[in-house]
Amino acid sequence: MKIVVFITQTQDTEARIKVGSSGDSIDTEGMKWIMNPYDEFAVEEAIKTKEAYGGEVVLIAAGPQRASQALLQGLAMGADSAVHISDEALGETVDSLVLSKLVASELGKIEGVDLIFTGMKIIDEESVQVGIQIAEELGIAHLALVSKVIDVKPDEKKLVCQKEIDGGSVSVEVSLPALITCPDAMNEPRYASVPNIMKAKRKPMKMVSLDDVDFGSLGINRDAVGKSGAKIKTVNLEVPEVERKLKIIKGSDETTVKGDEIAESARELVKLLRDDAKVI
Amino acid sequence: MSSEIWVVADIKADGEVRKVTFEVLSEARRKLGGPVCAVLLGSGVSDKASELAGYGAEKIYVVDNPNLKDFNPDGYVKALCGLIGKHSPAVVLSGNTAFAEDYMPRVASGVGSGLAMDCIDIGMTDDGRLRIKRYSHSSRAISTQEFNGDGSAMIATVRPNSFKEEESAGAGEVVSEDAGITDADIRIKVLEIKTKESDRPELTEAERVVSGGRGLASEENFNHIYDLADLLGAAAGATRAAVDAGYCPYDMQVGQTGKAVSPILYVAVAISGSVQHFSGMGSSKVIVSINKDPEAPIFAKSDYGICGDLFQVLPPLTEELKKALSE
Ligand SMILES: Cc1cc2nc3c(=O)[nH]c(=O)nc-3n(C[C@H](O)[C@H](O)[C@H](O)COP(=O)(O)OP(=O)(O)OC[C@H]3O[C@@H](n4cnc5c(N)ncnc54)[C@H](O)[C@@H]3O)c2cc1C
Ligand SMILES: Nc1ncnc2c1ncn2[C@@H]1O[C@H](COP(=O)(O)O)[C@@H](O)[C@H]1O
Repeated sequence: MKIVVFITQTQDTEARIKVGSSGDSIDTEGMKWIMNPYDEFAVEEAIKTKEAYGGEVVLIAAGPQRASQALLQGLAMGADSAVHISDEALGETVDSLVLSKLVASELGKIEGVDLIFTGMKIIDEESVQVGIQIAEELGIAHLALVSKVIDVKPDEKKLVCQKEIDGGSVSVEVSLPALITCPDAMNEPRYASVPNIMKAKRKPMKMVSLDDVDFGSLGINRDAVGKSGAKIKTVNLEVPEVERKLKIIKGSDETTVKGDEIAESARELVKLLRDDAKVI
Repeated sequence: MSSEIWVVADIKADGEVRKVTFEVLSEARRKLGGPVCAVLLGSGVSDKASELAGYGAEKIYVVDNPNLKDFNPDGYVKALCGLIGKHSPAVVLSGNTAFAEDYMPRVASGVGSGLAMDCIDIGMTDDGRLRIKRYSHSSRAISTQEFNGDGSAMIATVRPNSFKEEESAGAGEVVSEDAGITDADIRIKVLEIKTKESDRPELTEAERVVSGGRGLASEENFNHIYDLADLLGAAAGATRAAVDAGYCPYDMQVGQTGKAVSPILYVAVAISGSVQHFSGMGSSKVIVSINKDPEAPIFAKSDYGICGDLFQVLPPLTEELKKALSE
């Protein structure tokens, strides 16, 4: 099985975030960049598949220089080689269609790819589309939100998965090559240990510069890479403070309610929900 | 480019039109100008056209084809790309359902459009470009975004419960289209569909949601959540920790990877309040939490809270609610 995983770096949104001076993006000064969490699930699933059926895992990322950290992490988890399309302009918002064409063209140079994994979305801009758009560029089927890979049939070149739909789930079969987008529920990503990161530095990493890209054949302009070329532009970004005035109903010892207080609190809460918030 | 604003109808497994479709039709009419039209794709769905007209659709483009079934994106992508290519609408909208997340990105690629997912506000700039608001950064930021107006259809999906649906009769002219979808277009074979039979409302649409976290401690204890939900006519949700522990199925997960909900009332029982969970319910109007840990982060993000053990708090709370609701 030849497996490709598309990965990217994102801002650590669990950390403190604030709006930058331009007013249209997050201040990245001192920002911690991490491998997009959903891409970790994608890498894990790829490595598990390789372990079960043999083959190799290739990682592809488009991003500025710092993105090599995410590739290194993926290699340390067990991927075999990586491709880094590197340019500082890729650190800005890049149009989804431009991005998907760019990364899909690198995949096109790898022969005999059977299976492709991407994350379901990136956690900073949450565009929720690039993975599926790569499949459209490649002209292959995609399965979004796969919660479980049920069966891989390398000989028949088929795959059976369970995917989530509104109000339930479906099991589906698709011919390979196919692309899968990964939510978090599918596996438990392995840890990239320090010795493995050291070893990963010796694994092949191909660097691709935008100068090497044949934009003409992709049907896009080189100028389209970067903020100014995007079809959708952020004009304002806010990080609203959660403004909720907690009316907490608790016991006299300032912690948990006990004994008689419980029924009293319940009564008070219901009254507030009815008369104050008017939601029941 | 025509001035038409399209709203693609979202059809549930039982053949009914999802409520978010009416919400988007109504808001498009209020905010975007231009003739608002609906697109109805599916198998055996033609009779739904009149319902769409009832929410203001001037025209309804219908592709009724047996290959458009089973939540299978391929046929929908081909049908919608074909319609957009033929009629060049200015704007294409739909509800942000799991199915829209599945096929809209490919439609945008197919027709060379920009796509904004899961919008909470829609409007137009003076020069006719779509302007939307959406959450980003794990729902901790809200961005206002504008399309660049390059003449391609401007495509966006809208979070359910963001807008009020409002009936208003439109001309409802039915335009039947043959998208030429054949068996060969369908690459994904559906082996089995498991939909849940439930009397509870669907999570993403529900006006009230009761969710349980890891603190419920067992599948059996989740009955407390279901009972409270039923009492309030609410949908039942959960955290990932509860799903991972096997207390309830994945389709109940609320959060960054689960469903995004915007009810008027969200009751969080034994939920700590992680960034990822909040990402899916932070836009709820009123948040009530019950947690035994006074330091639980959820309290800082709630409107009302009881700090106590859920097993002691829920029984009297249920009784009080029953009393209040029967008054
Ligand atoms: C990539 C990624 C995606 C994720 N996506 C999601 C997502 O979509 N949705 C999601 O929910 N999480 C998601 N998570 C997980 C998230 O980080 C948290 O781990 C999870 O939300 C915690 O769930 P919890 O609050 O139920 O559990 P805990 O954090 O363990 O909290 C349990 C709470 O219950 C309280 N409690 C325990 N017993 C009682 C009792 N008897 N009475 C009252 N209170 C009690 C405790 O005080 C505690 O506050 C994601 C994580 C990652 C890394
Ligand atoms: N710059 C990139 N390089 C490689 N893969 C990417 C890049 N951006 C997004 N992806 C992939 O597309 C998925 C969805 O991203 P998005 O549509 O931006 O939310 C991610 O989880 C990655 O797998």
